Amino acid sequence: MRWTASIFAALLALASAPSQAQAQEYPAKPIRIIVPFAPGGIVDTAARVVGQKLHERWGQQVVIENRPGGNGFIGVMATAKSPADGYTLMMAHTGEFSVNPAIFKDVPYELERDFIPITLINDAPMVFVVNSGVPYKSMQDLIAAAKAKPGTVAVSTPGTGSIQHLLLEWAGLATGAKFLHVPYKGGAPAITATAGGEVPAGSAAMGSAMPHITSGRVTVVAVTTGKRSAVNMSWPTLQESGVPGVESSIWAGLFAPKGVPQPIIDKLYGELTKILEMPDVKERFAAGGGVPGGMPPAAFKAHIVKEAAGLKEVVIKANVKAE
Amino acid sequence: MDIIANLALGFGVAVTVTNLLYCFLGVFLGTLIGVLPGIGPVATVAMLLPLTFSLDPATAMIMLAGIYYGAQYGGSTTAILVNIPGESSSVVTTLDGYQMARQGRAGPALGIAAIGSFIAGSFATLVVALFSPPLAEIALKFQPADYFSLMVFGLVGAVVLARGSLRKAIGMVVLGLILGLVGTDVNSGVMRFTFGIPALAEGISFVALAMGLFGVAEVIANLEQRGKNREVFTSRLGSVLPSRGDLKRSAWSIARGTGLGSVLGILPGGGALLASFAAYTIEKKVAKPPRDFGNGDIRGVAAPEAANNAGAQTSFIPMLTLGVPSNPTMALMIGALMIQGIQPGPQVLTQRPELFWGIVASMWIGNLFLLALNLPLIGLWVRLLAAPYRLLFPAILVFCCIGVFTINNNASDLFQLVVFSALGYLLIKLGCEPAPLILGLVLGPMMEEYLRRALLISLGDPTVLVTSPLSLAFLLAAAALLASIAVPLIRSKREEALKE
Repeated sequence: MRWTASIFAALLALASAPSQAQAQEYPAKPIRIIVPFAPGGIVDTAARVVGQKLHERWGQQVVIENRPGGNGFIGVMATAKSPADGYTLMMAHTGEFSVNPAIFKDVPYELERDFIPITLINDAPMVFVVNSGVPYKSMQDLIAAAKAKPGTVAVSTPGTGSIQHLLLEWAGLATGAKFLHVPYKGGAPAITATAGGEVPAGSAAMGSAMPHITSGRVTVVAVTTGKRSAVNMSWPTLQESGVPGVESSIWAGLFAPKGVPQPIIDKLYGELTKILEMPDVKERFAAGGGVPGGMPPAAFKAHIVKEAAGLKEVVIKANVKAE
Repeated sequence: MDIIANLALGFGVAVTVTNLLYCFLGVFLGTLIGVLPGIGPVATVAMLLPLTFSLDPATAMIMLAGIYYGAQYGGSTTAILVNIPGESSSVVTTLDGYQMARQGRAGPALGIAAIGSFIAGSFATLVVALFSPPLAEIALKFQPADYFSLMVFGLVGAVVLARGSLRKAIGMVVLGLILGLVGTDVNSGVMRFTFGIPALAEGISFVALAMGLFGVAEVIANLEQRGKNREVFTSRLGSVLPSRGDLKRSAWSIARGTGLGSVLGILPGGGALLASFAAYTIEKKVAKPPRDFGNGDIRGVAAPEAANNAGAQTSFIPMLTLGVPSNPTMALMIGALMIQGIQPGPQVLTQRPELFWGIVASMWIGNLFLLALNLPLIGLWVRLLAAPYRLLFPAILVFCCIGVFTINNNASDLFQLVVFSALGYLLIKLGCEPAPLILGLVLGPMMEEYLRRALLISLGDPTVLVTSPLSLAFLLAAAALLASIAVPLIRSKREEALKE
């Protein structure tokens, strides 16, 4: 038995020695960040901002690879199947890890089994907005109207099974109001519909609503985070608007495939915390109401697990079906 | 006048050495990728995005915009000479453009495409400069019912697109509609006909389908004619300047195409592609006889080319004034602005006037560059396509594959390309024109989405379709168009009546 143990120990030493060395020379070649979305959105922007900074600090190219489609399945699976050497990372968001497991029966990946969360990069609030021409002036007005005539107050979202949709259902569950959910094909057409008066209200990412908020076409009636947003401190939170216990945001975070050596994860995390404190990075995220993250890997994972459980409950109670 | 001051500001931005250079670079790249089948502006803009981080926002946008509208020019060259649309919006240009080339009139076809494009591009830029804010308001006022009826009109128009048999055309439209069902249902989130393949969740890849049906299938059909006169018309180009008669015949077509393109470009989702289809349809109905559409009528090149360029230009209006992307390329440009720390939207006009007016001014300059690139220097692009066919066809296949792959970076799109290439070859053998299929595929899912949304919001009341004046107008126009097809059919019962 002893010789097996010593061989095992030797193997272990062999296995860990290169990983220490790997971390020291990491990154020795270009890094690829997979984004399970088309270029241009909040997650893609987060990847490009961070990628640019990593490139500046490490001198290695950081390539953003967009692998959109299939509710994020395609990009996530491409990452999961990539070598766990730290040269393939993924910028994913709330949808892939908190929403998909709640609404789809067969999700081909699992957070615990396939990924190591590194850190949260950008945490952006969502907002409930109303068209500025409608009589509803507050979240309370909106809820009262939906209660008075159940199923007639139309609210736009970027799609069935989107986090904005789940948020709407959640607010309905918490208040007993029944809204008319009107799904669109993405965030831009959804908020445009509210701005143009096609539907009186909308549940949207603050970033996509921003142009119409600034132009005055839509009015924010509530922000969805626990605290008010620094973008405009006069907007009340959902909790303050008579929607108890509902709190949500859209985050973008960096992930590595399971099996990437810990020293590399530590090195990435250390670098990212520095990057997320840079004023220009903060400024870029702030345009859409975002706040840079930076929580340690374990805390980030706990955050996702808790959020996923909460959303799962919403999906079951509100009977949301996406297939 | 404000506009003079604003334009002065814009030209001040656009006419600097750096910005002129990037504007030229943009339209040059645009023409190049336009000529190369398969590779489109979306992939190109995505690839160049990192490059723009270090540039001034105005410079970045001037270049990216140039790629987009430049591609509309280049797309027609391949359509005319090789019968493969270089861009999806030049699909219709193949119909008459290629026929003109077969008759030895490739030169005038290329010439009228460039001239039509230039007139339309310049006029539409004027529209952008003068009417952006009010037009954006109109686009916002479009309700789901209005969109639905517009699509109905478009679909009826698709039938008119057919060159030959009406029955085949209807069959193709229906096939397109059926293929359009594949993907996630917007209303319920249900996956339809995806067979558990994630890549099909967003539906069939439009580019893979267009490249398969029009590109690869054409190559196969050409290869079949061994040793015989291969149908690539690059050697006997002749003068690219259209004759006085050509210009006279095309003048009204260009004007109509420009007007239509300017309007449709503003609507989200439609843009240049829809504009070119609609322009061709209308031209087929209203152009002065003798009409010879489908057999090399120069107006069948002039109108859609004018329309797609006008549409490409005015599709900037929702993006610049509302922050609303009207197509994937615009979404990328919004991304480029956001990375620069600029939130696109109405405030851009007031807070960053130099950016807005700089882009507008650069569009005129860019269109001038494009006219130069596409008239005197057309030979340069033609030479790209003049390679011997044994070299050209592998190159076309490679570019089609690269183009299809780079849209989603997904290999399964290539399998779709293979399937649709086979289908395309079958359709050539059966004598079925694939253009109506494309329109069915594009319009079908949108029609369903808008109709169901209209009914959802109206709480199930179908009268919204006729109570909205816009919707009613489109429906009546569709009925009129349908009658104009049906009446001669009933009267003479001869298919000749349809061929025009």
